[in-house]
Amino acid sequence: MPAPARVVLTGGLSRRYTGGVQEFSVEARNLRGVLKALDRLHPGLADHLEHETTVAIDGEIHEDVGYYQTVKPGSEIFFIPKLEGG
Amino acid sequence: MDDVIPKDKVMPFKWVGTSPIRPDGVPKVTGVAQYGADLAMPGMLHGRILRSPHAHARIRSIDTSKALALPGVKAVVTSADFPEQSFEYLGPERVAVNYWHMTRNVMAREQALYEGHAVAAVAAISKSVADEALALIRVDYEVRAHVIDVDEAMKPEAPLLFPDLITRGVEPPPKPSNISKRIEFKIGDIEKGFAESHEIVEMSFKTAPVHQAYIEPHGCVVRFDADGQGEIWSSSQGHFVVRAYTAKLLGLKLGDLRAYPAEIGGGFGGKTVIYLEPVAALLAKKSGHPVKMMMSREEVFKATGPTSGSSMTVKIGVKRDGKIVAADGLFKFQAGAFPGSPVMNACMCAFAPYDIPNARTVGYDVVCNRPKSAAYRAPGSPISAFAVESVIDALAQKLRMDPLELRLKNAARSGTQMVYGPKLAHNGYAETIEALLRHPAWKAPLKKNQGRGVASGYWFNGGGESSATVHINDDGTVVCATGSPDIGGSRASMAIMCAETLGVDYAQVRPIVADTASVGYTHLTGGSRVTFATGIAVIEASKKVITELCKRAAMIWDVDVEGVTWQDGHAKPASTNVGDFKPLSLKEIAAKKAATGGPIGAAAGVNPGAVAPGFATQFCDVEVDPETGKVTVLRFVAAQDVGRAIHRDYVEGQIQGGVVQGIGWALNEEYVYDGKGRMENPGFLDYRIPVASDLPMIETVIVEVPNPAHPYGAKGVAEVNICPPMAAIANAIERATGKRLTELPMSPRKVLAAMDGTA
Repeated sequence: MPAPARVVLTGGLSRRYTGGVQEFSVEARNLRGVLKALDRLHPGLADHLEHETTVAIDGEIHEDVGYYQTVKPGSEIFFIPKLEGG
Repeated sequence: MDDVIPKDKVMPFKWVGTSPIRPDGVPKVTGVAQYGADLAMPGMLHGRILRSPHAHARIRSIDTSKALALPGVKAVVTSADFPEQSFEYLGPERVAVNYWHMTRNVMAREQALYEGHAVAAVAAISKSVADEALALIRVDYEVRAHVIDVDEAMKPEAPLLFPDLITRGVEPPPKPSNISKRIEFKIGDIEKGFAESHEIVEMSFKTAPVHQAYIEPHGCVVRFDADGQGEIWSSSQGHFVVRAYTAKLLGLKLGDLRAYPAEIGGGFGGKTVIYLEPVAALLAKKSGHPVKMMMSREEVFKATGPTSGSSMTVKIGVKRDGKIVAADGLFKFQAGAFPGSPVMNACMCAFAPYDIPNARTVGYDVVCNRPKSAAYRAPGSPISAFAVESVIDALAQKLRMDPLELRLKNAARSGTQMVYGPKLAHNGYAETIEALLRHPAWKAPLKKNQGRGVASGYWFNGGGESSATVHINDDGTVVCATGSPDIGGSRASMAIMCAETLGVDYAQVRPIVADTASVGYTHLTGGSRVTFATGIAVIEASKKVITELCKRAAMIWDVDVEGVTWQDGHAKPASTNVGDFKPLSLKEIAAKKAATGGPIGAAAGVNPGAVAPGFATQFCDVEVDPETGKVTVLRFVAAQDVGRAIHRDYVEGQIQGGVVQGIGWALNEEYVYDGKGRMENPGFLDYRIPVASDLPMIETVIVEVPNPAHPYGAKGVAEVNICPPMAAIANAIERATGKRLTELPMSPRKVLAAMDGTA
């Protein structure tokens, strides 16, 4: 089983969807696994994160939350607000 | 030009990093390129929009009967013709779309919220008849008090744009105000950080609202057939998004609309939204004729997305050795008539160039009686950079440190925690500082009334969804189609990456921008995403074509496909065991396509992540005229980490363009309003953007720290260059005059007042 990943939500996301809980420890091989694990804890959270956030995995920013994105053992995963450019 | 390429990183590319002739050059310089204004269709009508003369007014009624009765008028629309939209924020927080707002921005309903707000539209056989009809429309307004300045709009007694607007992000919900949203990012303990600081600088700043000032006004032609199928030709930064927004506002299916990209004469973020297309579509449906609509320059200024004006306070604390230990920023942004300023970006980018253990940014999104703000080149980041980089400069003076050395000491590097949470995954910032420290002009002497200023900037850059198709013609030429409108030279970059991957000559590749029915979904050209994301789509499609070419070669040689390799644009035997075959060129394989299985081509759809951010550091020399306060920019040197330049000239052009826009933002550009909230300078004579004679040569320093997530190392290059100029110029003025200007634009009047001590 992979080592747990540290998952962090911004304050705004945690206030809206997890009753203020910002950090989670999740065992998963990819982002789909992370979303499923979070959704078990807070039903509906995965859908919000998938559609409302950009994700940073070990600092690498991925504009969209893609199921296929790999999560390494001990990864740090931040769900942050979606970005806009000009 | 002092290019900085680590010697061990130089790759043997044939086309990447060169500057071949742009494929769109000849049509543009000969005037045959089709921009939004250039299309004409049989039976086409001309649409015009009636706009509010008031900054804020309730619309009691609109009487269009006399306009409709005018000979030559074929259709009139008002907001009553648009389906109502539900009030909800859809999608990601920062870029959430609220179609209740969007439909009201396209056509005012209950109230006009800014001068220039559309209230009705006419389609007629000529522009003059349409204008005559507009004069016959009677709108009964109840004029209301207006508010434009962000600090004024936040006051409890300010006139409210929406009586039921509750600030999001505040618990418990406060009473209604013009504050749409409060956001906050925080790391560490800022109180502790400031307590440990030996020097603290705190300053407040204001920036004027400015326009993207693209040369080409908005324009479109829309046709609707009797079978309900519609077509849109328009100048935009994303025809897929034009199609999606228009379909949503009119209740149409995506499949019933086809959007074509016109050539675009500048966008800079301002053409990522829609204004005319749904109006023209309604007029076309009602009249049964194609309808063309073009904005005047005055309409562009008064009715399309400028970026925010702001009010900011930034406080930074440092140790004696220059290490920054605490930073706090308050950013208040004008959203315009509907929520959605780029203040969140400002909060996220403000301190991003620096390794600061204790930091907080707070932002307010505030509605006011101006056009709804739209994206403008690194939206939000240049505004907060003006404040932060001015404070950094003041700290350097207090510490008697070289401002580049202070920045280098605190530079964010891979592993630095950002105020918005994650750790930075890429280097690139320190390299831009080091490049300028090596630049011969950094220590060049200055004369009386001259000063040198430096500043830096950060931008995320973008990835996201892109599509490309690559097809091989019978003669071995290649068509490379993407869905990304070409604003800054992307066709040339796509052709380079396609040619590099296939191993063919650049001139063999014809890059085009395909319409929404001819290529897969592709997100906007914006966020400095196209060279990175659409480039990866092109490379992936090209690789698929190579796989197919190897299969065809194997068939021609009658060997297993594993026995064929692709090298230098030719299929070759993978080893001598395969057989003694003369290499087959792409052209030779294409000539055999019918016998080997038919047309050769491939499509790729991608959503690449691991976007590497952009960093820029710039310095400039200015001279201040002590008699007039006029600031002349004598020298401007701009270093930027570009990952790897794909088309070198275009990269330089992007850097120079961003700097020029930043110089305009710094010195000249602003909306001037009268007491009734009406813009007094809606034209390029009075809204002063820099022209060539105002500027020195913008010297570029291309720094290349390759992005490992892109096959050729590319990073976005288009936006971060506009972040430093305002502070760099303010810092240079301070060094020249001893006066720190904290309000943009730094016009001669303000500079003179500061020098005279009357500011």
